[in-house]
Amino acid sequence: MIDKRLFKLKGIIGILVGLVMMTGIQALAILAQGIFMAIAIVNLWQGKAISQTTSAIAFFAIAFVVRQLLVVFKNHYMSKYADEAVETYRQQLLTKYTALGSTLTIEQGTGNAVTTLGAGLDNVKNYFQLLLIKVFDLGIIPWLILLYIFYIKWEQGLFLLLIFPVIILFFVILGLAAQSKADAEFANFKNLNNRFVDALRGLPTLKQLGLADSYSDEIYDISEDYRKTTMRTLRIAMTSTFALDFFTTLSIAVVAVFLGFDLLDGHMTLLPALTILILAPEYFLPLRNFSDDYHATLNGKNALTDVLSMIERPDIADQNVLTLDAWTSDSQLTLQDMSFSYTEGEPMLKAINIEATGYQKIAIVGESGSGKSTLLSVIGGFLQPSDGKISINHQTLPHLAQKDWQSQFFYMPQQPYIFHETLKKNITFYAPDVSDKLIERAVTQAGLAPFVAELPDGLDTMMGESGRQVSGGQAQRIALARLLLDTQRKVLLFDEPTAHLDVETEYDLKQTMAPILASHLVFFATHRLHWLDQMDYVLVMHNGVIVEQGEPNKLLADTESALNQLRSELRGASS
Amino acid sequence: MKVKKMLQQDRWLVPFLKQQKTGLFWSIILSFMTIFAAAGLMFISGYLISRAAQRPDNILLIYVPIVLTRGFGIARPIFRYAQRLVSHNWVLRFVSKSRQRLYDSVASSASKIRGQLQTGEVLSLLADDLDRLQNLYLRTIFPLGAGILLYLFVAIGFGVVNWLFMLWWFVMLAVIMIIVPLLSLLANRSRVHRQKQLQAQLYTDATDAILGLQDWISSGRQRDLVTYQGRVMADLAATKNNSMHFGWWRDFLIQMLSLILVITTLFWAGAQFSNNHIAINFIAAFTLAVFPLVDSFLGVNQGVSESSFYEDSIKRLNALPENTIKATPHLDVTDETVALKNVTFKYDDKAIIRQLNLTVVPGQKIALLGRSGSGKTTLLKLITGDILPVSGQVTIGGHDVSALQQQLSQLVAVLDQQAYLFDTSILNNVRMGNLSATDEQIKIAIQQAGLQPLIDRLPSGYNTSMQEAGTRFSGGERQRFALARILLQDAPIVILDEPTVSLDPKTEHEVLQQIFTVLADRTIIWVTHHLTGIWAADQVYFLEKGQFTLSGTPTDLAKNATHFQQLLAMDDLG
Repeated sequence: MIDKRLFKLKGIIGILVGLVMMTGIQALAILAQGIFMAIAIVNLWQGKAISQTTSAIAFFAIAFVVRQLLVVFKNHYMSKYADEAVETYRQQLLTKYTALGSTLTIEQGTGNAVTTLGAGLDNVKNYFQLLLIKVFDLGIIPWLILLYIFYIKWEQGLFLLLIFPVIILFFVILGLAAQSKADAEFANFKNLNNRFVDALRGLPTLKQLGLADSYSDEIYDISEDYRKTTMRTLRIAMTSTFALDFFTTLSIAVVAVFLGFDLLDGHMTLLPALTILILAPEYFLPLRNFSDDYHATLNGKNALTDVLSMIERPDIADQNVLTLDAWTSDSQLTLQDMSFSYTEGEPMLKAINIEATGYQKIAIVGESGSGKSTLLSVIGGFLQPSDGKISINHQTLPHLAQKDWQSQFFYMPQQPYIFHETLKKNITFYAPDVSDKLIERAVTQAGLAPFVAELPDGLDTMMGESGRQVSGGQAQRIALARLLLDTQRKVLLFDEPTAHLDVETEYDLKQTMAPILASHLVFFATHRLHWLDQMDYVLVMHNGVIVEQGEPNKLLADTESALNQLRSELRGASS
Repeated sequence: MKVKKMLQQDRWLVPFLKQQKTGLFWSIILSFMTIFAAAGLMFISGYLISRAAQRPDNILLIYVPIVLTRGFGIARPIFRYAQRLVSHNWVLRFVSKSRQRLYDSVASSASKIRGQLQTGEVLSLLADDLDRLQNLYLRTIFPLGAGILLYLFVAIGFGVVNWLFMLWWFVMLAVIMIIVPLLSLLANRSRVHRQKQLQAQLYTDATDAILGLQDWISSGRQRDLVTYQGRVMADLAATKNNSMHFGWWRDFLIQMLSLILVITTLFWAGAQFSNNHIAINFIAAFTLAVFPLVDSFLGVNQGVSESSFYEDSIKRLNALPENTIKATPHLDVTDETVALKNVTFKYDDKAIIRQLNLTVVPGQKIALLGRSGSGKTTLLKLITGDILPVSGQVTIGGHDVSALQQQLSQLVAVLDQQAYLFDTSILNNVRMGNLSATDEQIKIAIQQAGLQPLIDRLPSGYNTSMQEAGTRFSGGERQRFALARILLQDAPIVILDEPTVSLDPKTEHEVLQQIFTVLADRTIIWVTHHLTGIWAADQVYFLEKGQFTLSGTPTDLAKNATHFQQLLAMDDLG
């Protein structure tokens, strides 16, 4: 019922001891509340005046208030702890994310990583805050009440004790039956639900095909099928709650009737009987509360597992092997017989040999799927090679995820990410403290000036999601401005920067980019071969292997070269 | 008053409540009976043991209470079970009707063939809104209905015994059931609003963190990321805590009020029944019955305070336009010439298309090029009548496009950047081009689109399911499926809106070749992002700032226009 990992958390033991104590006091208050209520009623029943029972009523009121106060206090107490725990997790999680970098998004998928950070942590908080309270309530309160009932009338206590596992058994058995029923219907269920969203999203297409009107009735029919399927499942699924309900209420009724017989026979007096009757619902209450939130508990547990397993992932080792102050005109990077494969399956890159010196401009060309981006990721240290020798300035390195190397390059992806921030903050992302004058110059150089002039608030306009949307070309220019402001970085990695732009925008952008490439080491992965006129070396890739490398002019002059073969393939048969 | 106004204009909640009265009635009655049985159980068993303690001579004297105790004990869970089934069934019926309604509403607003005002995300959001409204019914409206019923019942019940005490209960319950929930709704409203805002921001921030992760790391700003993210999260936690604290203390207050009710009931019962040997047993009965009642009031309170969570959903749904499709008479279109005469279109006073003229004769193939923002998309929308020009005229076969809206799908077919494939079998997807097509015709279309090798590879062939929006197949395959659909649709004019933009060069060549081969006899208006395949076009138009800056046959342009030559070089075609 309680997760064992929970006890390993820092400071949790103290917190739980506190929770146990408060729950214990609360249980005593519940007992007192029931007992004094019974005394007051019995006094009145015996015909005593109300003035004679005021003390019992007062004690009842005090016990009642204490009990309710403890509910609030426990909530406060656990919510404070939950906040702290979640904040710690958040920091650890983000630190881990930044330590793992792109490896994380490649392995986990962006959606997953975002969910863990948002909804995941929310569930964990819920787990700590609400569910632990219910678990401990169930662990303590019924048993103290039961102990008392045993003390006053053991037969009733025994009945209540024995019925408890029966209730749980039925709850579980029916719950399992419901689960298997739900599983059986799941595909159907999901399918029907999806089809509605599917139809909505495909509405423009339906319109284009002239089908939109006739689909309306189909939507209703699908939804009605959905209703019937859901109701079939619900009829079963609700039986487990029904069983819980049925047995607890019936138990109370049975207890009442048996107490009635005992009283009738004179085995008992009213006070103990009434006390038991008042306490019986309290005995079952924690179980009912717990079962209501059973699924939330499971979600919370799973979320905690996700968060913990993420935090416990090993960091990338040996990130500080390299000492490099700056990449200069005589620096050198070599890859020898490097290969790369994901944990399972075929190698993606085989026997890669590269030697890059100074401010060389190296194009990596090949058709899609040839391994251009993967190679660039290895050079950027986002992926770790499985074999081969890597060195920078004759220092042998296990991989290129080196702090000193990563602070030397600027990576430009196909679609640079635009933050939900002002344009200015987006541009100064790599150099937050530069002067406005420099920003202006970078904006002009990156060809952003006309765009900025069009914006209502100029550089202070909000960008990104729910802000101003930018086109692909503009995103590239914003990234170029970022790069222009950071004069420290002398290595540029480009991953198909112009692949999906329209040709006119590409042409404009090329005019902007060409001068920026000077006095940088450039790796430029692309299938747009017109870039070759800006490069002084080219690697031709095919199926994860460098099939040819050399100066572009020489390779283009050779009609038999792999580069020319690629060129004719990219031009297509139709031209 | 805002609420009143909102209810009057509401088209999603209120009409449905009126329409489905029977289900609503039973749902509320059953949830009332559930609480009634719970209170009845405590009432009768309190009476039973008190009476038994008096040791009546004959067991028959307590026979009725014994039976009733068992009866209530069994009735409560049964009522509850039935109530849950009835209310869920009711809510799902609501979902069926409102889904159809939502669809109709969106369909009418997107009545234009290329109305892409509603993106997929917004539509999913609307679908979620409907799901959320289910909870409004289940957690707020039904319990509230039962609560009000209970209120009346309890008040009348006490009224029979003592009208002064009835008044007391009347006032106390009014506080618990009406005043406290209303106050807490008002107090919570701004917090809920803030909480939603922060939640949205948290999501944007998380996206910023993950999608921009590489930039955070490369720039060495890891620490900034951690603090930056922390701000909103702390804010959100604080806001949530505030409303939770508020909720705890509100529940505490209600408990205190119920404590007062219990004690006063005890006092009253003591005074009311003390002088009668039989009536004295009612002291326990009345006092014990208060507890289950109070529990149900707590539920009503929570439900009502939560209801402001649904405000946005209701607003969003009500903001949807009413279903208004005007039927237009069917026109006979004999020649399918597309013509734009002096067309100008403005958006917010900014001219997107200026004084544009264009004629496309049947069978002609034109290519349209232009930077993003040059007006290409607007031009296509004008041709399909999605938007109307500020001045000038758009015609197909001499008829204004706005008069052709109802028959447009017979005239114009569209192939988008990413064709939407439905979550059904391949055969059914292609059939959507023409519902009366035979399986044989569909298979021919699939073959013409160059998909036969793919179909042969699939274990279930034509009956393979597309899965989630066609993610099963590659970009090139998806475009080919859409092409097959268009082949069946058999409209004389085909609009190609950058159909190959997300494909790799090799696939692009193949798909374009296929398109122009099988659509050889149709009119084609082709928006393209670069010059691959440009030789298939009869005329090429360059659009800039809403006007054609350059046009001609590709051969002429390649000979005479420098701009075109430069671009050809970019595509390595020169």
